Amino acid sequence: MSRHVLQVVGLVRRYGGLTAVDHVDLVAPPGMITGLIGPNGAGKSTLFSLLTGVEQPDEGKVVLGSTDITRMRPDIRSRRGLVQTFQVPSLFPTLTVADNLLVGAENRRRDYAGGLLGLSAQGQGRISHSAERVLERLGLAPKGPVTQIVEEVLDSLGLSDVRDTIAGTLPTGALRLVEFARALCARPDILLLDEPASGLDSEETAKLSQLLRRTAAGGVGIVIVDHDVDLVFSVVDQVYAMVGGRVVASGDPETVRNDPTVRSVYLAQAPLAAAGHSREAH
Amino acid sequence: MTSIDLALAGVSLGAITALSGIGLLVTYRTNGVLNLAQGGIATLVAYVFREMVVEWNLPIWLAAVISLAVVSPGIGLLLERLVFRPLARRRASAAESLVASLGVLVLSLGITAGIWGLGSRSDAPSIFPNSSVQLFGDTRIGADALAELVMVIVFAGVIGVIAARTAFGRQIRAVVDARQLAELSGVPADKVAAAGWAAGTTMAGLTGILLAPRFQLTPYGLTLLVLETFAVVVAARLSSMTVAVLTALGIAILQSELKQFTLHGDAGQILTVLQSNLFIVALLVLLLAVPKLRELGSGDSGATTSFSSRDAPPSGRVSGVRLRRDYLGKLGGGALLLAPLTFAPSDLRSAFMVPALALIFLSMVIVTGYSGQLSLGAAGFAGLGALLSLKLANGDLFGLPAMPGIASMFVGALLVAPIGLITGYPAIRRRGLTLALTTFAVGAVVSRFVFEQPTFATGLYLDPLTLFGWELSEKAFYVFELICLGIGLLVVRNLHQGRLGRALLALRDHSEGAAAVGVDVRNLKLLAFTVSSVIAGLGGTLLVHSSYSFSADDFAPLQSLLWFTAVVVFGADSAAGAIVAAAFMVTIDVLAPAGSSTLAIGILALALGWMPGGLASAVRGMLRLLAQYLADSFVDPNQRAPRPVPVRISAVGHLPATTGITGITGLPGIGSTLRAARAGHYARWPLSGNQDGLPAGAPRLTPFGAGLVGMVQQYAATQTAGARRRQATDPAGAPRPTLPRPAGPTPTGAGAEAHPAEGGRA
Ligand SMILES: Nc1ncnc2c1ncn2[C@@H]1O[C@H](COP(=O)(O)OP(=O)(O)OP(=O)(O)O)[C@@H](O)[C@H]1O
Ligand SMILES: [Mg+2]
Repeated sequence: MSRHVLQVVGLVRRYGGLTAVDHVDLVAPPGMITGLIGPNGAGKSTLFSLLTGVEQPDEGKVVLGSTDITRMRPDIRSRRGLVQTFQVPSLFPTLTVADNLLVGAENRRRDYAGGLLGLSAQGQGRISHSAERVLERLGLAPKGPVTQIVEEVLDSLGLSDVRDTIAGTLPTGALRLVEFARALCARPDILLLDEPASGLDSEETAKLSQLLRRTAAGGVGIVIVDHDVDLVFSVVDQVYAMVGGRVVASGDPETVRNDPTVRSVYLAQAPLAAAGHSREAH
Repeated sequence: MTSIDLALAGVSLGAITALSGIGLLVTYRTNGVLNLAQGGIATLVAYVFREMVVEWNLPIWLAAVISLAVVSPGIGLLLERLVFRPLARRRASAAESLVASLGVLVLSLGITAGIWGLGSRSDAPSIFPNSSVQLFGDTRIGADALAELVMVIVFAGVIGVIAARTAFGRQIRAVVDARQLAELSGVPADKVAAAGWAAGTTMAGLTGILLAPRFQLTPYGLTLLVLETFAVVVAARLSSMTVAVLTALGIAILQSELKQFTLHGDAGQILTVLQSNLFIVALLVLLLAVPKLRELGSGDSGATTSFSSRDAPPSGRVSGVRLRRDYLGKLGGGALLLAPLTFAPSDLRSAFMVPALALIFLSMVIVTGYSGQLSLGAAGFAGLGALLSLKLANGDLFGLPAMPGIASMFVGALLVAPIGLITGYPAIRRRGLTLALTTFAVGAVVSRFVFEQPTFATGLYLDPLTLFGWELSEKAFYVFELICLGIGLLVVRNLHQGRLGRALLALRDHSEGAAAVGVDVRNLKLLAFTVSSVIAGLGGTLLVHSSYSFSADDFAPLQSLLWFTAVVVFGADSAAGAIVAAAFMVTIDVLAPAGSSTLAIGILALALGWMPGGLASAVRGMLRLLAQYLADSFVDPNQRAPRPVPVRISAVGHLPATTGITGITGLPGIGSTLRAARAGHYARWPLSGNQDGLPAGAPRLTPFGAGLVGMVQQYAATQTAGARRRQATDPAGAPRPTLPRPAGPTPTGAGAEAHPAEGGRA
């Protein structure tokens, strides 16, 4: 299955007199990490909510692959492969970690009514729950693709040990990881990450950037918004810099880093190359 | 009568409604609570006033002073101190405040009904003389209307001045914006809140005293009248007093003006109903027209999770012990449900109500407990199911031939589905309190326009049920009811299981998060509403057959509120709780005077503040503690493997259930996590006390995975360190911890240090 590219064309969102997102064009190809930087109030979060469908744009369109998804609901976008994580981790606190991931993995299908009649959409065939349970007790439960994905993701993120922990009892750092895992289970083409590094220390951030690279290497396109410019520049393949709702510079990290506008507006204090740019998020 | 006369006739009702609206706004703007109990309090005060005047022969002015200057504000102060201050202190969610105010409503109804009975009284005294004042020419206005209008202007004016011009007004705004911040800067938040409550309940009492002589005084009737005045605060978007007053007068005058028209046929009938029910129609229309009443608390996610009484069902293998215990529990429950078969006929007949009510309660478990939607319209669905099946059985529906009784019951219930589906549509975009009010309004409109209309609800015959030509005996009918309940339980079980169950719980826990990973939020909500309405409809038909009659009172809109409260009290996400709640209410009503169950439910609802998660959760927690105690007395605790303590067990103790504390940050999941983390409850996190980080026998991690686990573990360690430090210095704790960043190795993170955290570097 070929992955989709995310294209944003002339997107505009106004709040009263303020244009929070002003004719933004953006392309996020699969397998690549796209960074989005900008000072506070630049419109990054607004752009994200336009992409995920939480807000509707006044003009412009959002295209995933060859489909115009501008007017689609968030959950439909997600089923089509545009999946996001939230700035505040948003797990399902009463579900176990494994169930959290399962919810992510299962919802490319929508036939909920089947479940009502006791039919299960888990596994390849449709068998009743009781039948499934009997099989399970005999050790013959069919491992559907859904369960497999969850186990794989749990494994590769080292979460197997907490698979049966109620998510609401996990510490925040783990929550971010589980939410990331849940997004992966939804098999995204494009993954939108809203400030994934906020709340993490420098070492954890380093781990995160590895994780991002691995995910991108697997063919997923990633768009990341973060105030940690070091993280963003170290991990991305391309960067968009926003100021006042407009994209003022874009291209590979080196170009954007040396762009005079970016330097003057966003990075006034110090040249970016010098490390130690403190995070503004906290 | 001319238009002007009609308009003047409407002024009085408009002014009273405006007073009620002012009271609601004052409470809301000082406390952030939409006081659903306004009607109950108004009714209670009206009864007290009548008692003093009619029974004790006190002078009217004295009775009025006692009612309005002592009783009403006293109720408000008590409520603030005992119910709402504790809730505000622990920053309870909007849903919890809603249940608390429902509890107050139910309790005040219970008290009123318990003391004065459910019958109606027409001798409620009026505080104003029955005279009128000449305006111009022949046009006169009642003295009462004039006085009430003056009151509205005075109260609205005084409150407006206080809010806008005085230091107290500033303090009020500060308290509502951020109670704790305000307290830190020296604002006496509790006093402000108490003043708001006292003022609100005084207005409620005044509303009750003024309304009572205009209508028959009945506990339910008067309460409902006051609930209808919510239309004006919705129109005012819970903020503008002027809009509320003008809307109140506008609707009342319009309603009065409608009296000059007469129409024939169906339209005429609708008009007749509108002539006395414009407020409830306005409430529904306004709620539907205003999609997001942000003021009513946005965000349903997390809110209703606080009704959750237990963990999600396990997705993995269920242990044998647990299964056995489950089966035992089910057997015991089944035996109890079968017990009435051995009862004397009259007791058996009383028991008929139990499965019927249980089905209605189950329908609420589906919508509220499982999918997290606040729905207060169950009585509407139940009544529609009952009515439709009766009409089918009578051959009175759409010209269909008469159906046998049992078939008509199921078909009638199924016919409720489209109505449930339609009601579900508002739920897609509405949440929390807005949705609760919307569903309530739907129920009330259905009640007024259908159940109370002679064309729909009279001349229906209730034939004995037959099966294959045999008339069902009473025992057989009870068994039939149990079968229906079984069907309902089966549906509920399927809803709670597997992919569908997880999706519903995800929706309840965090609807945005669910949508973000592709859960079809819209269809799930519609599905929940539809299924729930059918089950309620089935329960409604059974209810009618068990009481041998269709009565609009059985399905009055207030029933929904009472039932909802009962369901939450017994654990909103517990099917067993629904059955227990039904049995509880029926038993109490059989053994004690009418209205006692209302009283009991009200008391229990208020006690919810001390045991979030409902009775079901408390009982479960107690059993668990007992089991633990027994185990400890037989096995040396030190010999047993350390067991992680689920945070949720604290539901019986002083700590609220995990999910009940979303109020800490106002963000779902976050508060609970933080508190859990601070309390050290991530003991299960595999590496925090374990040197090599892996339990024996666990699958080995990939190097990358190991690195990640290390990272998380270290994070956990810094969190505990930070939490301890914070506890030492700042007992209140910061709402959002900033991460301590020790320069060197973390002081307490021994486990983290030992772990090869760098192992993951590829
Ligand atoms: N719902 C809203 N109503 C009115 N204005 C809004 C709304 N949401 C955002 N804005 C405004 O739009 C502009 C862009 O906000 P946005 O949150 O997108 O910025 P951002 O780049 O994410 O900033 P930050 O880095 O601080 O998160 C801001 O000026 C903000 O005040
Ligand atoms: Mg932002």
